[in-house]
Amino acid sequence: MTAAATPAASIDAFGLTDAGRVRRSNEDHFAIATLRKAMELMQCSIGDGSAFDRYRGPDAMVFVVADGVGGQPGGAFASETAIATLVEYLGQAAGCFHNLDVSREHEFLDQLERSVLTAHERLTRGDAAPGGPATTLTLVTLVWPRAYIVHVGDSRAFYLRRGRLRQLTRDQSMGEFMVESGAWTDDQARRARTSGVLMSAVGGSEMTPAIGLVDLAPGDTLLLCTDGLTKHVPDDRIAELLGRAQSAEAAARELVAAALADGGTDNVTAIVARMAPALSTT
Amino acid sequence: MMQKKVCMVGLFATGKTSMVQRFVHSRFSDRYLSTVGVKIDRKEVEVDGAAVTFMLWDLAGRDGFEDITPSYLRGSHGILYVADGTRPETWAQLGELSALARDAAGEVPSVLAINKCDLRDQWMLGPADEAALAARWDVVRTSAKTGEGVEEAFRRLGRGTLARREAGR
Repeated sequence: MTAAATPAASIDAFGLTDAGRVRRSNEDHFAIATLRKAMELMQCSIGDGSAFDRYRGPDAMVFVVADGVGGQPGGAFASETAIATLVEYLGQAAGCFHNLDVSREHEFLDQLERSVLTAHERLTRGDAAPGGPATTLTLVTLVWPRAYIVHVGDSRAFYLRRGRLRQLTRDQSMGEFMVESGAWTDDQARRARTSGVLMSAVGGSEMTPAIGLVDLAPGDTLLLCTDGLTKHVPDDRIAELLGRAQSAEAAARELVAAALADGGTDNVTAIVARMAPALSTT
Repeated sequence: MMQKKVCMVGLFATGKTSMVQRFVHSRFSDRYLSTVGVKIDRKEVEVDGAAVTFMLWDLAGRDGFEDITPSYLRGSHGILYVADGTRPETWAQLGELSALARDAAGEVPSVLAINKCDLRDQWMLGPADEAALAARWDVVRTSAKTGEGVEEAFRRLGRGTLARREAGR
């Protein structure tokens, strides 16, 4: 794997969250961050400043959304704590993506998984009872061109390439589990009231992170969102809105607006990250 | 503990994900969901007395839209090719797929799983085809649905990766 220097400025990213039209509070949270380990030349008197380029490592970008489990006390606390813990952990381990190569890739994935486990431990330690504050969590760490995904719960990550939307995560929910096991049809899952019950949550009694990755390409668009978006806006509409927007901010605003226009029954959060068409992959 | 990266390679819908699900979680689903990118699962196994952690990279299969991304294969210690005994095109393209894998990962141990052997009435792989494949590959008939051959396929691959390590390659 080649991890080329990818200035964060080449990626247009924007996140937005809204309480929706029904809920009084917003239990979703999100974060977008850049991890850097580099010397960047500001000014010099030598003729050829390219000597400094060797000290420019790859930037990594971190995108994360979390949806505090609704109907339980502390949902907002859980999603906020999970994201704060991840940011803190990854900030301390920021060097782990530097000089990342295939021989160290599993070590890096272990670190990402560990960051989620740390958040889980923080939410379940002490007097916190199982079934207490819990949250979904979808984390994408982009070390160009590779996007590493750690996912718990039913928030989702997608990417759009040449107009085609692909879902990178699978919901860890009762509905998905029952369909997967052959006990329910898709239609039964859509109608069942228990479909949305999480089978895995950070801070919950079960927590099983799913790990994956995908190599992105110039021009791709990444989307992370909570179920407040996907329960109101179908995939083909998401693809259309992502495809026609002129910026990440415009796309995120249109997606959230579409969820609200359809009823906005839940908190809704979207992070959109657009890869510049001319990104270098050398 | 030793970690070994094993990639699952084949055309779409040959049962790569089902093989991993059977091997790691002892479960099977008839529902088909195409893999997007790579899903990574971990399984600790003992191979001839040695403890090994397989990092199983379940790659999206080649289909009409996407080809296999070579960079996913880099650093592999072994490759499990999966063909579908009911679809001739899935073994007809093995030569191309293995050339692609060799370019990306070099010469690494491999095993060919001819999957869906429970579908006896739809089976298309004749004795001559099977003999031709066996001349080139270490072939195991598998069924992710019943579990037949699945452990054996991974065990053979595990032995191959360990033998390669002992040989210092």
